[in-house]
Amino acid sequence: MWATDLTRGRGRFHHVLSAIAPIVVLLGLVSCQSNPKTEPPLQLNLHQKWQLQPGDQVAGYPVLGGLGDISISLNRQAVYAPFTGRTQLDNRNCVIFSSPDVPAYLFRLCGLENPRLGSVSPGDRIGRADTLQFAALRKQPNGTWAIVEPSRQILERTLKQP
Amino acid sequence: MKTSLFTHSVPKFLVAGGSVALAVGLMTDLYGLPSFRFRKNVGEACQQVVRAEAKLSRDQLAKLLVIPEGQNQKAVRQVVQDPYCKLSSLQVRVGATAQREAYPLDFDANTWLVVLYEGEQYVGYRFNTR
Repeated sequence: MWATDLTRGRGRFHHVLSAIAPIVVLLGLVSCQSNPKTEPPLQLNLHQKWQLQPGDQVAGYPVLGGLGDISISLNRQAVYAPFTGRTQLDNRNCVIFSSPDVPAYLFRLCGLENPRLGSVSPGDRIGRADTLQFAALRKQPNGTWAIVEPSRQILERTLKQP
Repeated sequence: MKTSLFTHSVPKFLVAGGSVALAVGLMTDLYGLPSFRFRKNVGEACQQVVRAEAKLSRDQLAKLLVIPEGQNQKAVRQVVQDPYCKLSSLQVRVGATAQREAYPLDFDANTWLVVLYEGEQYVGYRFNTR
C-alpha cells in the first residue's frame, strides 16, 4: 500500500514537474536579459550651455522644454521609433533614441510616460505624451552634441506609424 | 494512506490553469528576449549597391576612426574607398541632406559600418550589427 502510494505520488510529481519545467526555464531566460531600466542614465555633453533645460526648475515650477526643443501637443497619442535603434533614459529622464542607420545624430524625447527602453524596430511605440518635447542632436568634432533644427521628415516618422 | 500530496491537495485543473496563466503572462514579456530582438533588429536595406566586393579591413577601420568629424568627404573616401552600398538619402535636420554609405567589415561579417555625410562634409559613423 505504501509502495503504490509512493509510486503514484512520484508519478504525479513528475507530471507536475514536467508541466512546470518549461515555465521555470522561461523565467530563467527572462531574468537573464539585461534590464534597460537598470542601466545608468546617459549624460550627454551638450554643445549649447543654456541655463534652463528640460527637467530644471524655475521659481519652483518644472521646465518641460528648453531652447531648441520642438513642442508638440500629442494629447496622449503614441510616438514611434523612426528607425531601427535603441531607447535609453538620460539624466533628465528624457528618452534618447539612437540608430545605427543614422550615424552622428541622436533624438531626445522629453515628456513621455512609461517609455519603452531597449532595442526598438521602426514603427514600435516608444511611449505616449501629453506634450512631446523633441530635440535633434548632432555630434560635433569635439564630442559634444549640438541641438539642431529637426526636419519635418524626421518628426513625421516619429509621430506616425509607417 | 490514500491521500497523497498531488492527488488531492493540488487539483489537476489548478496546475494546468496556473501553468497557462503563467505562460500567458510570460509571453507578454517574451518579445524582450534576445532571440526575438535579434530577429527584429535588422538594419535598413541598401538602396543602391556601389561596389559589391567592398570590405573594410582592420587597417582601414583604424585609419577612419582617427579622422575627425567635419572633415571633407574626400579624406574619408581615400581611406575606405567606395562603399558596398548607399542607403536612402535622408533629411535629418533642416537645410542638409544626409547621404549614408555602408561597408561590411572584413573581419566580422555581421557588422557593418555606416558613414554619414552632409554635402561634402563627413559627419560621423556608427556600427550596425545585423
